[in-house]
Parts: sequence; C-alpha cells; structure tokens
Amino acid sequence: MSTADDLDRTESENAAGKVAETASSGSGNKKQDGSSASITLFFIVGFVASLVVGWVVFPKLLYSQKEQPVVFNHEKHNELVDAGCESCHFFREDGSYSGVPKLAQCIDCHEEVQGDSEAEEYFVTEFVQKGREVPWLVYSRQPPCVFFSHAAHVKKAGMDCVSCHGHIGESEELRPYEYNRISRYSRDIWGHNISGIKRNSWDRMKMDDCSECHVEENVNQGSVQTHKGGCFVCHH
Amino acid sequence: MKIDRRSFLSFLIGGAAGTALSPLPWKLTDDISIWTQMWPWVPIPEKGEVSTVNSACTLCPGGCGISVRKVDDRVVKIEGLAGHPINNGGLCTLGLAGAQLLYGPQRVKAPMKNVGGRLVEISWEEALGEISARLKELRERGQPHRVACIAGTDRGTVPELLNRFLTVYGSPQFFRVPSIQDTYELALYLMQGVRASAGFDFENADYVLSFGSGLLDGWGTPVNIFQAHSRWCERSGKLVQIEPRQSRTAAKADSWIPINPGTEGVLALSLAGVIVKESLYNADFVNAQSSGFDSWQQVLLENYDTESAAKITGVDPSTIAKLARDFAGARKPLAVCGRGKGQSPGSLKEVMAVHALNALVGGIDRQGGVRAVPEPDYIDWPEPEMDAVAAAGMQQERVDQAGGSQYPHARYLLNRLPEAVNSSADSPLQVLFVSDANPCYSLPNSKAFSDAFKKIPMVVSFSSYLGETAELADFILPSPIYLEQYEDRPIAAGYPLPIVNLTRPVVKPLFNTRSVGDVVIELARSLGGTVAAAFPWEDYQTCLKETLGDKWIVLNEKGYWAGDKLGSGGQPATFETKSSRFEFTNAEIDAMARFAPVEPEGDIAAFPLVLVPYDTMRLWNGYIGDPPFVIKIVPDTVLKNNDVLIEINPATASELGLQDGQAANLTTPRGTARVRVHLFEGIMPGVVALPAGLGHTAHSKFLAGKGANVNALIGSVEDAATGYEAVWGIRAKLDKA
Amino acid sequence: MKLEKAHKFGMFIDLDKCTGCGSCMVACMAENNVPFREDETDKLISVAWMRVYNLSNNKPFPDTETSFLPRPCQHCEGHHGHSPCVSVCPATATDYDANTGIVSQIYTRCFGCRYCMAACPYHVRLFNWYDPVWPEGMEKSLNPNISVRMRGVVEKCSFCFHRYQLAKERADYEGEEHLAEDAYQTACTQACPAKAIVFGDLNNPDHKVHQLAQPDNRNGGKPRAKNVFRLLEHLGTNPKVYYHSSKEWVRRLGDNDVTGRDKA
Repeated sequence: MSTADDLDRTESENAAGKVAETASSGSGNKKQDGSSASITLFFIVGFVASLVVGWVVFPKLLYSQKEQPVVFNHEKHNELVDAGCESCHFFREDGSYSGVPKLAQCIDCHEEVQGDSEAEEYFVTEFVQKGREVPWLVYSRQPPCVFFSHAAHVKKAGMDCVSCHGHIGESEELRPYEYNRISRYSRDIWGHNISGIKRNSWDRMKMDDCSECHVEENVNQGSVQTHKGGCFVCHH
Repeated sequence: MKIDRRSFLSFLIGGAAGTALSPLPWKLTDDISIWTQMWPWVPIPEKGEVSTVNSACTLCPGGCGISVRKVDDRVVKIEGLAGHPINNGGLCTLGLAGAQLLYGPQRVKAPMKNVGGRLVEISWEEALGEISARLKELRERGQPHRVACIAGTDRGTVPELLNRFLTVYGSPQFFRVPSIQDTYELALYLMQGVRASAGFDFENADYVLSFGSGLLDGWGTPVNIFQAHSRWCERSGKLVQIEPRQSRTAAKADSWIPINPGTEGVLALSLAGVIVKESLYNADFVNAQSSGFDSWQQVLLENYDTESAAKITGVDPSTIAKLARDFAGARKPLAVCGRGKGQSPGSLKEVMAVHALNALVGGIDRQGGVRAVPEPDYIDWPEPEMDAVAAAGMQQERVDQAGGSQYPHARYLLNRLPEAVNSSADSPLQVLFVSDANPCYSLPNSKAFSDAFKKIPMVVSFSSYLGETAELADFILPSPIYLEQYEDRPIAAGYPLPIVNLTRPVVKPLFNTRSVGDVVIELARSLGGTVAAAFPWEDYQTCLKETLGDKWIVLNEKGYWAGDKLGSGGQPATFETKSSRFEFTNAEIDAMARFAPVEPEGDIAAFPLVLVPYDTMRLWNGYIGDPPFVIKIVPDTVLKNNDVLIEINPATASELGLQDGQAANLTTPRGTARVRVHLFEGIMPGVVALPAGLGHTAHSKFLAGKGANVNALIGSVEDAATGYEAVWGIRAKLDKA
Repeated sequence: MKLEKAHKFGMFIDLDKCTGCGSCMVACMAENNVPFREDETDKLISVAWMRVYNLSNNKPFPDTETSFLPRPCQHCEGHHGHSPCVSVCPATATDYDANTGIVSQIYTRCFGCRYCMAACPYHVRLFNWYDPVWPEGMEKSLNPNISVRMRGVVEKCSFCFHRYQLAKERADYEGEEHLAEDAYQTACTQACPAKAIVFGDLNNPDHKVHQLAQPDNRNGGKPRAKNVFRLLEHLGTNPKVYYHSSKEWVRRLGDNDVTGRDKA
C-alpha cells in the first residue's frame, strides 16, 4: 500500500536516477567503446584459444605413443635379404598375404644371436627362446569390416610398397606407434596431419583415399547408387 | 577488466568459430563413430594362414568324409569332402555344426568323479587308480563277469580293444547299442548263412519300397541316400514310402502309403503273396538259387491274402496288389525297412519278410539290390592267453541272456539290461563302462536305464560331452573328439561296400583328455598278468598304426579305404547255408516264434490314441545332442519356446476338442508330458507323433529343458522271436492341460 | 584397364531334389558368423540368412502334399539395379553392384532403421535385436573373412561374397583373368547333400545355372526353362534365384497363387 511519503520518496529516487544518468552520459561513450573492445577481445581470445586447442592440444591428447616391442632395423635387413620386401612379407600359395612376419620367419636366421646389437639380444632371449610371438603394432591395420587384397594391388595392378606404406623399408628403426585413444587405430590411418591433408599417397589410409585411386583407375565402379566402387569390393 | 555476460558470450562464440575451423569436431565425430562400433564384447576373429585338413565325421554312423578349414590353429568351418564315396562333398546339419561341439560349453575338460551327487575334477592317476583297484578286487573275488561295457559299435580298434579287455579280464558282457543292423545281420545269417551287415545299393535302384525307413530323415548313410534320391529325380526312379506319418521321406516320395503303425510286416508278407500268386517273381533266382520257397509261400497264401491284410494294415486291397505288381515289374526294385533312422532292431520276422521281397525279385547281391557286406578283417590280433579266472568268468551267462537258451540268436540285448539290474537287490553288474553311447536318454524305456545306472556301483563314462548318461556316471574319463585324434571307423550303416574311414587330429586336443584306447591299455597294464600281456602295444597310436598295417598309408592319403565297387553284372551270390542257397525258410527259422505284428503297450479304452516317435535331420537322438546351430533350425511347428508340439490329425483333434497351439497333457502307460497341439494333415487319424531328440536334461543350455523325451514315454517291447527291442510306439491319451 | 563383362551371380534350386533337411541353413550360419541364442523358436526374430520354408498344398489327409523351399536373399535387380531394399536405405548401407549383381550389406554403415526390412517382400533381412554372444571358446570358430555384427544392424545373405573376394585374390596372384565356375561357390551350394542348389554366373552361357534357368534378359530376367519360376514374379523385383518344381501347386504358390498375370 503506498502512502504519500512513499510517493515522495519514489519521485526523489527517480530524480536522482536521472541526475546519475546525465552525469554518466558524458563518460558513457567511453564505457561502450571499452565494452565493445572487451567483446572483440574475448572473441579473439576464444577464437585463438580454440584454434590452438583444436590444432595443437587436441592431437597431443588424442594420440598416445607406444614403442614397438622390439627395435627393428629395416635398412639393415634389406641389405641382407635377396628379394627385398617380399623376403619377409610374402604371398602364400592361395594368394593371401602373410603381412607382418611371424616368429617362425625370424627364427630362420635368428635362432641364435647373429650380431652384437642389444636389440637383437633382447629379441632372442625374450621371444625366440621363449617361443613367444612378437606383439608387433601394425601401422596399417584396418578395421575388421575391410577386405584388402595385396594380390590385387601388387600383382594385378603392379603397385609398389611405397605408394601405400611410405619409406618404412629404408628406416633404421621403427617409428613410435601413435594410436588414437578413441578409435584405437594408428595415426597412419587418418594421417599425421590432423587436418587430413596429405602430400604423399602414403600419408593417409582412409576409405576415401582408396576410393580416389579406384575412381581414377576405373576399378569396379559398379555401384548403382554412388556410381563409384561397389561396397563389396573392399568390405565384407 | 570485468568478465561480463557479453564478454563471456563472445568468448564462447569465438571459441565456437575457432573450433569449427579446427579439425576437432570433424575428427572427433569420425573417431566417436568408429568407437561406437568397437564394443569390447564383440569378438574380432584374427586373420591368419588358411589350411585344410581332410578327415572323417563320426557324429552319426553314416561315415561322411569331411574337409576342415582352419585359420592358424582354429577350426573355422567343416565341409563335406569332395570325392569321398559316401558323401562326395555334401554334409548334413550335424556334421556342419561340428565346430560347435569342439569348442562348445558341453565339453568335459578333465576327468571327473561324482562326489556326493556333484561332479568334481580329479586327476587321471586318481581316477584310473580307483577304477583299477575295483577291477582287481572283483577278479580276486572270482567275479570278473560283473564288469560290462556298452559301446556305440563293435567294429574298429577301439571297440575291439574294449571287447578284448573284457574277454581277457573274464567277462562276456560286451554290449552294442541297438539298431536295425541287429536284425538285418541275423536275417542275413539265417537266410544266407553269412555273417555280414546289410548294404543297399540305392544309387542304382529304380524303384525303392521303404517300410518306414527315414531315407531322407537320417537313415543309414544320410548324405549318400540324399544323392541317390536326387538321381532318382533325374532318372525317373520311384520311391514309395509306407508309414503312418508323412515324414520328409514320405513328402518327397512319389507315393505315400499311410498304414496302421506296427503292421508293416503284414503288408510286406501280403505283397509277397501277390507276387507269388501272380507268378511275378524272378523264376531264375527262386528256382535255381533258393530253398524253402514252397513251405514259405504256403504260409503266405493261407494267411496274408490282400483282404485279410487290408483289415489289419488299413491299406486298400487294390493298392496292395498294385504295389506288388509295380515292385516286381521294376527293373531294379529294392525293399528296405528300419523305422526312422533305423535305431531300433524291430521284429526279426518283419525284417525277413522285407528281405524276402528282395529275394523274390532277384535283388540279392546285384546292382541296385541288397548286398551282404562283409566286415573288414584288418583287425587281426592274436588270441589272448586266458588265465583261470578269465576262463571261468567267460563261462558265465550274460545279464541280458543273449546267446543263452531263451535267446539263442541274439548277440547283444541291451534292452534287457535295465530289468536285469533293477530286479535284483544286489546289482549283477558292479562296473559298467560306457563309450560312444547315451542309453539313459536315447533308448526306449530311458527311465529304467537311468534307474539301473544309478544302481550299478561304478559307472565309468568315456564321454567327451556332459550328456545324461555322463551326468549319472561315477567317473567320466573324457576322450578327445573326432577332430582331435586318429581313429579307424568301419562303416556299417547300410552302405553297399565295405568301407573304413580314418579320423585324424585336425587340432591338438583342447582339454585334458585321453583316448579310450590309451585308457584301456593303461588299465590292462595296471592289472598285470595275462590281462596286461594281451595288450603289448605302447599306446593306442602304436596299436592303431600296427593294426592297420599297409592300410595306414592309404587311409592317411585319402582318408578312407573302400572295398571293390559292385560291377554292373554283380557277383554271383554266395550263400553259406546248409543248402548253399538263399533260404526263404528253414528248420531254424520255423522253430522261432511265429510272425505277429508287435502290439503297442496300453489298454485301448484308457489310451485311445497311438503315439509314434519320428526322426528328422534336425534333431539327433543318439550319443550326440543337437549343437546350437541345429536346435536353432527346428521349426516352430515342432518346438515353441520350451514346449514340443505333438502332431495330430485335425479330425482327431476336433473329436477331442483340441485346437491348434493349445497346451495339452500327453499320457502313456509309462509317463506323462506337457505338449502343445499341432494340427497336421500328414498323419493318420488316431495316431499322434512326437520327435525324438528333444527333452534333454543335460548337454548345454541351448539344448536342455526343451520339449519332452519321447523315450521316457515309451516302454520296452521284446520281439518274440529274438528278444530284440521291437517297440515302435505306445498307446496314449491327450487331454487339455 | 580392360573391363570384364558384367557378372550376374545367381542360383538355381531344384525343389524336387530339396528334402528340407536344413544343411544349407547350418552351412550358412557356420560360414557367416551368424549368431545363436537359447530360444530360437520365434522365427520372426531368429537370425537365419538362408531359410527353408515348408509349403503345403493344404489338402486334407491323405492327399496332403508337402514341399520345401530354401530361400536365400534374392539379390533383386529391380529396374536397372534399384532393388526394393537398396532404394530405401537412408545410409547407403546397402547397394547394388552392377558388375556382380550382388546386393551388398555393410554393417558399419547401417544404423538399424529397418526400412529395408519393410521394403523387402521376401523377408530375407534380419535384425539383430539382441547382442550376439558367443559362449567362451566358441568365438574361435568365427570366420575372419566376414564381419562380426553387433546389436542394432540388419544382416542378410551375401551369396558368400567373401568367397568371391578370396577367389579373385587367388586368381590375381596366379595371373588369371577369369574365375572358373567352381572357384566361387556359396556355402549352401557346397553343403547341400542332395545337390539341389546350383550357383554361378547367369550371364555366362557356360555356367550350369544359366543353362538350367535360361534367364531372358530382355524380359526382366524371367526364366525360359520349363517348370522354372521365381518367387513373387509379379512384383517385378527381378530376383536372381530360380526355382524348379515339377508340381504345379508349388509353382503357383511361388507367386502367391496370382494367376493370369503378366504372361509377357
């Protein structure tokens, strides 16, 4: 319930407010300029921060580093074998690919320590003598829904190993295996470049990379819906 | 600087813009979508080196060859072996699911002992020690004849080792699981004088008259017969199926003759009567190569004219006459019997009547006919030396009295074992070995078997699977399964040539198992004396290799060894009877009980219906129970949730006030079961049918607790002539639940 | 790259020979990692790529007749590769390949809307309502050449396409251009004890399946051979599975007794 006193009070409050407004209107422009600058600043801060997070922090957090169980020198082994990559990574009689060699392969030469490297000694003691398969981390491992035929690419299409696997054959030691904590696959699949841009054909191994080449070479482009490759060519 | 709402918002917007221009949301979406498909409980089978190992399947007596595909050391697929004479690449439902038996949850992983009603794992030394001690004790007391053994077959090194053990130990109590071969072997002996199994040349026959044989439901060598049937389709061969219910065989037949159950023998004799009366028989054979024809035909013409037969069988006289004329008029007619899968011996005289039909048309030992298949004779061990205890023990009568004065012709009467054990206070059998058999489930009168087995103080099972009999055993000494070991398997399931398969180890034994042969040799050795001396081999593998001799190489290369193919002209039949001819009848046969249709147990007033069991390719009723893939394909007209559906003619059902799908109680003089009604036009009025192979209480959760065991509802009925199990069904009633 | 003439893989099933044993069903399940559960009696949700149907002439005893019909995915071509299921999939999880005639199903793309199940007139598509579970040890017999599915995706017969992939791989390794007829056969064809199923390239006049079915490519693939029919011919799905039966009631039942339709 308002009384005459209240009314009086309200009037004077209003008057005071008006005075205050007038007082500050002089410096009001300065304050608005300041707040727009602040807005812009925060926008920029947010923008830059998220770019940094997205481009730098995110890849660091996303990928975890693992070392291969044994230090392996491709270059050295290449010098010692006759048939290049195929000496250890060979086709079986039924056309399937042996992939990463099994212990039996290595034992052909490494029944006993051959050289004087620490790595080899470790390998022989921990794996050969104990009959344990080496749990290699495979960079090019694809999801189980993928069917990839090495015979179709190497024998039929005459491709070389480097086009997809890069220069691993010339490495002196195997690079660390960086795997994606969420999807559990190697960084080699999406590509080391977090934006997914590739410079060499071996930088990425996602479906679209395979499809690019298939479209170019007109391989089984029989899909009625996409007019590109039929799904069952590479999936099962 | 104050962070007010606008600044905060612009910070967020800046952040959003930056995030959108960074790879974070796109990569994260891609990764999370991959993550959603990588649930840890979905197995990822590893790729590896693919290899193929050829072997043989032993899950049924059929003897197919198999080709097993492995990835590294895992069995991934079992397929039929192309080129094998029995199956040539095809394979049945059970064989195809073999990998599930190898890796499945019903495997016994180590020796077990029944301790206070529970099965606990023990060591081999302990188990064999206890069993050996009991065996020694029985010998010392002069009671070796109280040890018995039940085996799935009596052919091959493993059953022969078991038999040899019993003999040299001092017991005549070796049992073979019953089948139609029991009666066929006896028929061949009485009518042809030979000790052989019956083989049927379906491949070359052009008119097959089947008295209830489930030729396309698992009889004999199933895959082989399926292929013969396909040939009949291509070449206008005819199949006539005589049975009360339209099995798959009857559905595929050119003609299905519904008949009152149990009267098939009457029909066979009446057909013979027509053939004789109208002189449609093969005169060359009958006149020059047979004896006893005159007295035999006399009986036919006096008692089995078509009118009388029609009254008993329910088959029209004109149909009977036509059948007889068609059968005798075909170029290569072949008659066969053995209900369903042929797991029951049946009435001897009925089998002889059907066999006589083949003789009448000259179908003995010729292409497209029935052949006496000799047992392969590669097992040629020297006679064991017997000590006094053993000699005395072998003189004792068998508990089933087979070979005794009352049952002189029978070799094994497993159906009589329960009564012998259950009827006396102190079980006549003290130790029972069971190999490759599940009698407490798969034989009629199964409850009596369970009671008997519970009563026998020591039951030792060699089972690889936790079946009903194994669960009742005092000891389980698990043997490796067929995919894990070498074993010879002579096939006798009606195949027209002698053939031996060799199983080979496709994988190393998965569990702590030992082959039956090794266990027998070890037990024998532990008993010392003449018993040990009868087993000079180091182990079973050595025994097998030495026994097979030069056949070992052939068997290893091809997987099988087969006798000579029957030429187009056939061989002149050799008969070793007194007359050196085929004997339609003789003094010995005449001395046996006269033929009469086997009557079903039960009073017709209280039990107005007749229950018959039926066999199918999707339900297996022997030692092996359905693996998960096979029980999965049982139709919903047979099994619904856990209820078995009983087949009943709609007219009969409406008389009883029963509707399709309704729950009902099936009662026989032997037991009762809860069922659901399935109206089926393919079954005679008054007859109801349940499938064999359900109602398991053991094996795995995929099989146990489903439906009812028809063997528990059917009692045992002996064949008057031989003592063999001749039950084909039982009277029953069906009431609303 | 030289283009091979397009294949059209199809099947011919002789219903006179088929005994309804179910070997084709089990072989398919064993080959293709099909899951199994404790209670499989609800056939609407039981996952079986190949299914054998019991057909009846619906006559009373004793004239009742029963026949059996194995039904894999029919790999419908529709018009120019627009199968009913392919036309409706929102995720392009299923696709028609003009080079082989096979309708593919990619489990990683499927999100389980089941629109394809509604579209398919043959009920060949099955949905994984439950998580497939393999009892311990039984996962060892899984086939690595084919995906293992999880809950929530639709699956169906693929004409054992993984076997084609492996056969091509072998041919590529040996430098062979063409596959022999017996190099690529489905599991059901191989297992059938009665040899009732024949599989091969309908476009290749040397293959048995072509000779038995005699498909008329100018007339929507309709069979020219005597007593040969396709299921639900009047729908125009242009399926690749041809059936033979000497019984007229079976042939009529194959098109749901729709008579007088489309004799062209």
